[in-house]
Order: sequence, then structure tokens, then C-alpha cells
Amino acid sequence: MGTEENISSFYNNENVIEISHLKKSFDTNLVLKDISMTVKKGENVVVLGKSGIGKSVLIKCIVRLIQPDEGSIKVFGEEVTTMKPNELNELRTKIGFIFQGNALYDSMTVRENLEFPLRRNKVIKDPKLIDELIHEALENVGLLDTMDKMPAELSGGMKKRIGLARTLILRPEIILYDEPTTGLDPLTSREISNLIVEIQTKYKASSIVITHDLNCAKITSNRMLILQDGVFIAKGTFNELKNSENDWVKSYFKIE
Amino acid sequence: MKLNIINIFRKTKSHPIEYDPSKDDFRWLHDFLTELGGLSRFTIQFFRELFRQPYEHKELVRQSYKIGLSTLPLIGITAFIMGLVLTLQSKPIMTEFGAESWLPGMVAVSIVREIGPVITALICAGKIGSGIGAELGSMRVTEQIDAMEVSGTNPMKYLVVTRVLATTFMIPILVLYADLISFYGSYIAVNLQDFVSLPLFVNLAFDPLHYYDLIPATIKTFFFGFAIGIIGCYKGYYSENGTEGVGKAANSAVVISSLVIFIMDLIAVQLAELFNIFN
Repeated sequence: MGTEENISSFYNNENVIEISHLKKSFDTNLVLKDISMTVKKGENVVVLGKSGIGKSVLIKCIVRLIQPDEGSIKVFGEEVTTMKPNELNELRTKIGFIFQGNALYDSMTVRENLEFPLRRNKVIKDPKLIDELIHEALENVGLLDTMDKMPAELSGGMKKRIGLARTLILRPEIILYDEPTTGLDPLTSREISNLIVEIQTKYKASSIVITHDLNCAKITSNRMLILQDGVFIAKGTFNELKNSENDWVKSYFKIE
Repeated sequence: MKLNIINIFRKTKSHPIEYDPSKDDFRWLHDFLTELGGLSRFTIQFFRELFRQPYEHKELVRQSYKIGLSTLPLIGITAFIMGLVLTLQSKPIMTEFGAESWLPGMVAVSIVREIGPVITALICAGKIGSGIGAELGSMRVTEQIDAMEVSGTNPMKYLVVTRVLATTFMIPILVLYADLISFYGSYIAVNLQDFVSLPLFVNLAFDPLHYYDLIPATIKTFFFGFAIGIIGCYKGYYSENGTEGVGKAANSAVVISSLVIFIMDLIAVQLAELFNIFN
């Protein structure tokens, strides 16, 4: 796991995300029972767990797409759970979110998809500058030739990359990836995982990667957390967890 | 029914905390009130966002253009047939009573007061309401609304306020357009058997029309437009359960807004009667 050594120099001890005693239930189903975690500046934290266990709920609570029942979430030292709408909107511009299904606006071209957050948040009026930023973002993900295409004309992997480009155009300090390799072939999954590491290196962004893909976790993680029954049952680096004696943890690595 | 009421009373009395609406004999009432509460809350939220900056002028113009232009051909054809058929159907009776010369006036009053606004609003509920419900529903289930929210854009303002304002202001324009096309259909119908010149037809049609025919009928179309927009947006915005949910959202947007249009029309007629507007 070469990435860990290469990247560890980028992050320091400053916590950009601090979650403590987070609880969330839907009706009678308690999904997150007691979640506490931190993410340091420049660090990639992977949250591993089975499907439907509440991993996506966790990152949606961070940007308050879902309101948690109890607990505290601090991003850049500010409490998210009690923020006013305008403060929350301001904070959200510093956080990028890659959705599982890409969430590209399907009535807009790739260019318009990238322009949308830029025009609305950066108040950039100069069309030349906007063009430059769009070019740069698409170049970073290697899809410059798709600028005038509609999302429906793109493959799954291309959509993931455009989703990344749309997020990167606002230069977020934190990126939350929701199952970035789901539904992709092994080769494209590897490309996307490498791209996540490249982004971390280039933009010094902190990330939480939600996944059940061990290869993605291996490539992208500096630190890993395993979610089971609403709590984290194990923490550590990929190699530490791989050699763990815990039966639950072992079961995850058996399939590798 | 009596037995059900006794049962529900017993259930709530013996187990007041474990009340489960899914086992309730009056579940439909529970669902109806929940829906009504949700729609009311959504409407309040709409008005709250309406006056809050920034204003989405560009999107409002785009939506108005899209809604108006896309419905023009359908409204035009329907209105033309409506005027034509109404005239052809009424002609024999009017002739029987020797009141053939009143035919254009009768058709004009019927179209302006009732048929034009209601039929146009129902067509718009079918085309525009279902379109909005399906579009927002699909955006919800594919997380596009969430993506908008996390990028710092208020989706309620960008998606809902613009669409509701567009329908509120475009439906009255479409109704006026439908009225005019219907008059033309009526003129063609009159001229299928007889010859009446256009100036004479216009004279006969507009003679019995007064401002109190046109103004209340136009005012109610703003409410029809608002209902179509807000119900379509509400059903789409809170759509769930994937593609099945999108279909349901589009379908219930049409059903509910059509029903609301009839209820609003009934209230409008009663109010007009109450204030003696038509006399």
C-alpha cells in the first residue's frame, strides 16, 4: 500500500471534520447508533461496510442533507447540526459531494453542468475565465472532448469523472465520495480510485470515501473505519485491518 | 360504518399510545389529512422563498417560455374544436327558439365564463402538471435535487418558485389565447351552413360580454395556474421509491390538480353569485 506512505506527508493534525456520538434513526430503525470519528486536513478516510448499513446516511448528515437525531458534527470547527440556512450554504461550497448515481443534471450539457455551481457560487461574470476553469476541470479528469455532450450520451465511468470535475471546479477543501466505484468494471474502478488519490495529492483536499469495494479502499485510504450495526467496529490502516483478529473484520477481507 | 366507529373508539381508548394508522378503518382520512398538511407546509415554504433573495429571473423566463410554448399547439387545437362543436351542437336548439342571432353571444359567454378557463386548465394540468411532477420526481430519485442543495443552491427557490410562478402567470395567457381560438372555431361553425361576416360575428359575440364576465373568469385562472404548479412541484419534490415513484408523482399531480380545479371553479362561481357579479 504505497499510497499511504506517499500521501501521509500531506496531512497534518488539524481536524477538519469532528463527529461525536452521532445517532440517526428512520422510524423504528436505528441506523447510526453511536458514531464518533475525525478527519484530518489532507487525509483520506475510507468508511467500509455492507450495503444498506448507513454509510451514505453518515456523509449526508455531514452536509445536513439528513438531519441527525443526536450528536455533534463539526466541520472546520463549526457545528453543522444547528447552522442557519445561509451559513450552511456557505459551508457547503467548501464541501464537494460525489453521489453514488453521479447526479448530473440531465437537462444540461456537460459544460452547463460544470458552469452551474460556478456561476451560482463564485459570482464569476467573465465568460473567458469560466471557460478556462471548465477546460481545466475537464482536462483533470481526461474528458475534454465531452464538453458539449449530454449526460445520457456518456458511459458510467465518464459520468463519474464528470461528477468529479463538477465537484472540483469549486475547489472544495473536503470531498465526500458516496460509493465512487459502484457499478463500474474493475479497470474503470481502478482508474477512478487512482483519480481520487491524484485529487488528494493535487488539491490537498480531505476526503471521506464510502465504499464496500476493498480494492478502492486499498488504493485510496490513509485510514479506514468499518461500520457494522450502527457503530464502528474497527479502525486502522488497510494493512492493520487486514491482519486483524476480529471475526467481523476478517470476514470483510476474506473476499479479497 | 357504525361498527367501525365503535372499533376505532375502542382501539384508541384501550391503546392510546400504540395507535397504528395502518390498521385504522379510517386510513384514507389519515392519508388525506397528511397529504393536505404536507401540501400546506410546502405552500407556506413557497411563499417564504418567494420574497427571499436572490431572485431567479432567468430560470423564471425559461420556464415561462417552456410552459407557454410547449402547450400552445395542444391548447390551440382543443380550443378550436371546442368552439366549433359547441356552436354546432347549440345551433339546432337556438334555431328552434328563433334565437339564431344570439348563438355567437351565447357561445362567447359560455367560453369566456366557464368552458375556456376550465378546459384549458384541465389540459394544462394534464400536460404541464404531469411534466413538472415527472421532471422533479426524476431529479429527486436521481439525487439531482440533493446535488443542487449541496452545491449551495436553494432547490426550493430555483426549481419550485420559478415553476409555480411560471404556471401562475402563463395559464391566464393560455386561457385568453384559447378563448380567441374558440371564437374562431365558432365563427367557422356558423359559416359552415350560413354566411356571417367576421365583423358581424365579432359584434354579435362581444355584444353580450361584459367586464364582469371576463374579470372574475381571468382572476380564477391565476388560481388554477398556481394550483397546477404547486401540486405538480409538491408531488415531484417529495417523490420516492425510484421510477415507480416518479410515475406515481406525475399521475397524482394530474389527478389532484384536476380535482382542485373543479373545486376552485365551484368556489369561484359561488363567490360570484354571492357578490352578485353576474347580475
